[in-house]
Amino acid sequence: MRPLLILGVLLFLLGYVWERVDVVRVGYRVEQLKGQKVLLERERDELSVKLASLSAPDRVARLAKEKLGMMPAQPGQVVVVYRAEPKPQPEHPSVQEVRVAKREVR
Amino acid sequence: MKPVRPPYAARRTATLVGLVAGFAVVLIRLLNLQVLQAAELTQRADRQHWKSVSLEGPRGTIYDRNGKVLAINVEVPSAFGVPAALEDLRGAARRLAPVLNVRQMELEKKLRQDRSFVWLARKLDPEQGRRLKALSLEGVGVVMEGRRFYPKGPLLSHVLGFAGMDGEGLEGIERRYDRYLHGDKQVMMLERDALGRTVFPRGLREQGPDGGRHVVLTIDEVVQYIAEKELEEAVTSTRAKGGTAIVMDPHSGAVLGMAVNPRFDPNIVKSLTPDRWRNRAIADVFEPGSTMKMFIAAAALEEQLITPTTMLYGENGHMTVANTVIHDHEKMGWMSFSEVIQKSSNIGAAKVAMRLGERRTYDYLRRFGFGERTDVDLPGEVAGLLKSPREWGRRTLASMAMGQEIGVTGLQMASAVSAIANGGVLMKPYVVAEVRDAKGRVLAEMGPQQRRQVISQETARTLSEMLEKVVANGTGTKAAVSGIRVAGKTGTAQKIDPRTGAYSSTLVVGSFVGFLPADDPKIVIAVMVDEPQVDAWGGAVAAPAFRRIAEQVLPYLGVTPNSAVNLAMAVE
Repeated sequence: MRPLLILGVLLFLLGYVWERVDVVRVGYRVEQLKGQKVLLERERDELSVKLASLSAPDRVARLAKEKLGMMPAQPGQVVVVYRAEPKPQPEHPSVQEVRVAKREVR
Repeated sequence: MKPVRPPYAARRTATLVGLVAGFAVVLIRLLNLQVLQAAELTQRADRQHWKSVSLEGPRGTIYDRNGKVLAINVEVPSAFGVPAALEDLRGAARRLAPVLNVRQMELEKKLRQDRSFVWLARKLDPEQGRRLKALSLEGVGVVMEGRRFYPKGPLLSHVLGFAGMDGEGLEGIERRYDRYLHGDKQVMMLERDALGRTVFPRGLREQGPDGGRHVVLTIDEVVQYIAEKELEEAVTSTRAKGGTAIVMDPHSGAVLGMAVNPRFDPNIVKSLTPDRWRNRAIADVFEPGSTMKMFIAAAALEEQLITPTTMLYGENGHMTVANTVIHDHEKMGWMSFSEVIQKSSNIGAAKVAMRLGERRTYDYLRRFGFGERTDVDLPGEVAGLLKSPREWGRRTLASMAMGQEIGVTGLQMASAVSAIANGGVLMKPYVVAEVRDAKGRVLAEMGPQQRRQVISQETARTLSEMLEKVVANGTGTKAAVSGIRVAGKTGTAQKIDPRTGAYSSTLVVGSFVGFLPADDPKIVIAVMVDEPQVDAWGGAVAAPAFRRIAEQVLPYLGVTPNSAVNLAMAVE
């Protein structure tokens, strides 16, 4: 009986120590992953800033003008054509709405 | 017989005494450590084993109405030094100076301080952090800190404001909504091993502190860009001192754009004075000039004292009031009330104000929101200046009719004109639409708020028709937009010359305030140009900027000109 009891106590102690060691090991791993998460979040934020900076309206307008030779449509150059008549002007343009340059209409 | 002592008795006794004494010493030491010093030593052990870390969640992001990032927090490196750990202080300063962009002398001064920790440079660029780490200097370290970044540069800077070095909101939205934007603070206990590494936070469920809430504005960055661009053009081309432009939804009071010129970059405010970042659209008061005639007309129409066709005599351009002469810019005889507004006759407006009387004029101007804050959700707003009739002089009534002796802000003017555009209701202007948590759930929603009904719908409609004539044939023809009905009013207000204390003939504020499409208003635009040096008339300096803003903003908002054609017609 006694040897069994001693064995049981030893097994319990062994299990307890193993569990403690494992908790510490997992703890180190969690900390490592947390560090990785922080780095990824930092990278995400840096990319968000980059995206926001690159899509700033004044930059887009400058590139459109200088690199692509684009310019804002002047009044009268855009004619909105609706499919059906009579149809009240929609509050927000629908997907069916077609915009055609005035010259093309001619 | 002499007793025989057992052999080694003395040694045994000595050993016994030694052992007892030894155990006694150990026992006393044990008693001292375990009982007498127990509390202090336990504390010391805890300090070595557990580390408390004060953490602050990142500041929330500011978005425009379409979710475009306008202000965001990013983690950047900050450099610190531990003077006691530095052996060659001068050498360290020499190597650090080019990396940190700080003078060597300044760094040396910091490192000579009798302190265990000193900041060397904070919120550096990531590249500087990498170069600093590459130096591997003993006694110099890098920690990551949150830095506020405004990726659009000067865009909307006067509304956004900025946050300080420690992440506290100092101006604009950053200040007004600081209680939502700043991250939570939390102290966490971390278990450390013998090497000082973190083993595990106490309790698996412990999360880091929550970040700040996110703020979504009513401002549209594209509308804002258009307003800033065109205001800049107006200010530059007229060599003006500055200006403001406001774009508002008249039905809700939502501000779509609020431009102030000159602009500033909130990423670099260190070298600027408060004068540069003051939001002039709400903090600066100016005499509105002839734009005030709109509200005198609204009051007179509402009180049924007059109709658009009522004839008034223009006194051939000169009228004496309280021993002073009121002039019109051209000699006018008989004219309808509609023409008074269309041609911006000072004499006609003064006569109408006199019919209204002091009390009613004052009451209507108050009802339109002059002389009180609009309560917009921005810091630093002023109430403007509208004296009580008790303080009025004999000429005040006539002066007010042409926008003198009254001080208004740009936002008050835009808000009051919105009341004409939307059928007579004064709305509370606002710039923040929503506050959201980190997961995007809406925590607070700020919708339109009616302040009061100022005039009836019928009066608003009649006045709107009169204001259309200002743009069609009057002083505001340069505000006309092809294919769209525009209603508005020009204003040219003389400023007080600080040297003489009298109205200056050269220092003026030129303005144009209006709405469109006049038959179904979608936006109100108010443009004010301060001290233009060329063409110093509201109709010449502000009206063209109004038109250019409208021409770009309306198509962007999906409002198309009346010249839109039906496909069937186009095919024919």
